Amino acid sequence: MERLGTLEVKNLNKKYRSQNDDLLVLDDINLTVQPGEFISIIGSSGCGKTTFLRLVVGLEKGYEGEILLDGQRLNGPSLKRGVVFQDHRLLPWLSIEKNVGMGLKNPKSGESRKTIQEHLELVGLKGFEKHYPHQLSGGMSQRAAIARALVNRPEILLLDEPLGALDALTRMYMHQELERIWMKEDITMIMITHDVDEAIVLSDKIVVMSSRPGTIKKIIPVPLARPRDRAGYDFANIKEEVLAEFQLHTDHPFTYSI
Amino acid sequence: MKFQIIKNKLLGLIIPLILYVAWDFLTSREIIPPELLPAPKVIFDTWWDLQSSGELALNMKMSLLRVGFGFLLGAISGFLLGTAMGLWKPVELYLNPLFNFFRQIPVVAWIPFLILWLGIDEWFKIVFISFGAFIPMALKTLEGIKGVPASYLEVVRVFEYGWFRVLRTVIVPSALPSISTGLRLCLSEAWMLVIGAELVAAGEGIGNVMVIARRLFQTDVVLVGVIVIAITGFAMDKVLGLLETRFLGLHRSQNAQ
Repeated sequence: MERLGTLEVKNLNKKYRSQNDDLLVLDDINLTVQPGEFISIIGSSGCGKTTFLRLVVGLEKGYEGEILLDGQRLNGPSLKRGVVFQDHRLLPWLSIEKNVGMGLKNPKSGESRKTIQEHLELVGLKGFEKHYPHQLSGGMSQRAAIARALVNRPEILLLDEPLGALDALTRMYMHQELERIWMKEDITMIMITHDVDEAIVLSDKIVVMSSRPGTIKKIIPVPLARPRDRAGYDFANIKEEVLAEFQLHTDHPFTYSI
Repeated sequence: MKFQIIKNKLLGLIIPLILYVAWDFLTSREIIPPELLPAPKVIFDTWWDLQSSGELALNMKMSLLRVGFGFLLGAISGFLLGTAMGLWKPVELYLNPLFNFFRQIPVVAWIPFLILWLGIDEWFKIVFISFGAFIPMALKTLEGIKGVPASYLEVVRVFEYGWFRVLRTVIVPSALPSISTGLRLCLSEAWMLVIGAELVAAGEGIGNVMVIARRLFQTDVVLVGVIVIAITGFAMDKVLGLLETRFLGLHRSQNAQ
């Protein structure tokens, strides 16, 4: 069987209509994501990256061009595409177990219970089944949200700045976790971020977007072995390459060329 | 912690206590004539007489029955309208302007009209009460449903929920606190209006006891009425409050977004 989870975006344009004139938010986006790839989309605020993600999820309607998942044109939101939002969006009146089971057709069946258990274990929340979201820390809530998005085995997982609200240390820990989950589930992931380190640690490819209108400026492959060494030379080189796209050249006062 | 809570509750008792002492002082020295303000002890004795003769219980029963029927009628119709407007946009577009117009009318302004239609018997009182109870219920139900966070609705859209599952999983639990507030407002409104209705149109009932007592210059009976009304209203709200905590529970304190 052919592997599922190929996302093709062709000549995508998105406009917001305002009273006087149309505002072009996304301008001619072309992107192909292979099954099992981890892609990060990085860009400053207002570059349309969230709009792009919402279009792929199907929560945003009305665009020109094509968005194809395994050759099929998208038509509204679907269980095939999981999504993790920046705010975890766990329902406060449901226990963690029930929140995670939200994506299942029949969450009470024995099979579903098993799937829920597996996913709680996957994200390291075993033992928190009966807890409620307000009893969890930010990192744990986001892990529960990831489990909820994965529970119905989507072909592709879309993450909208999933770690943006976490503190720096929790975030680094979550990078490891996210990488482990991605490898274990063998799923296509597309993550929006504005954290360059995060993008390099996790991604196979980094898509750099520029603002007004949102366009893809450059796609930077990250051919480093995993797990990645944040202090490594190659890591630093790629970081510089990404930052250069934002006119953020780093000075090197203590290095010189021979 | 515990001590702090008890201390805070006791703070609320200080001013009533001062007022009570002042009341006792002013009436026992007859600085205020007893016909206008009887002493606390007299009030208590009068209450005891009314209580032991069964007069108070009989009239309370009548008032509470009216409140019960008026409250049910108003709460149910208010809930239905609020739900319909909250869930279906066309219903809201058709009915909300009319509803907003209706709710600007003070309920007491309906009294002459309702008496013309329904006379001064039970139906007048029940309909009058239900008019008042209807408004907060409809308003709070609508508000609760409209206030369901769009972010939660997006989550279930991605999960391809049918409308019933959306209702059960997101809309009902999210709107429930507001609906419950609506019920409490609705009940206290009903309780206020029953007294109003009884002051206007004679019959039995706690309000009517007060009307008759006023005519006979029995200030003590009038005041007993006031105090009984206050305590009953307070108790009814407290009971609903306890039910609310019991059923809506702890986990809603941290509603996001």
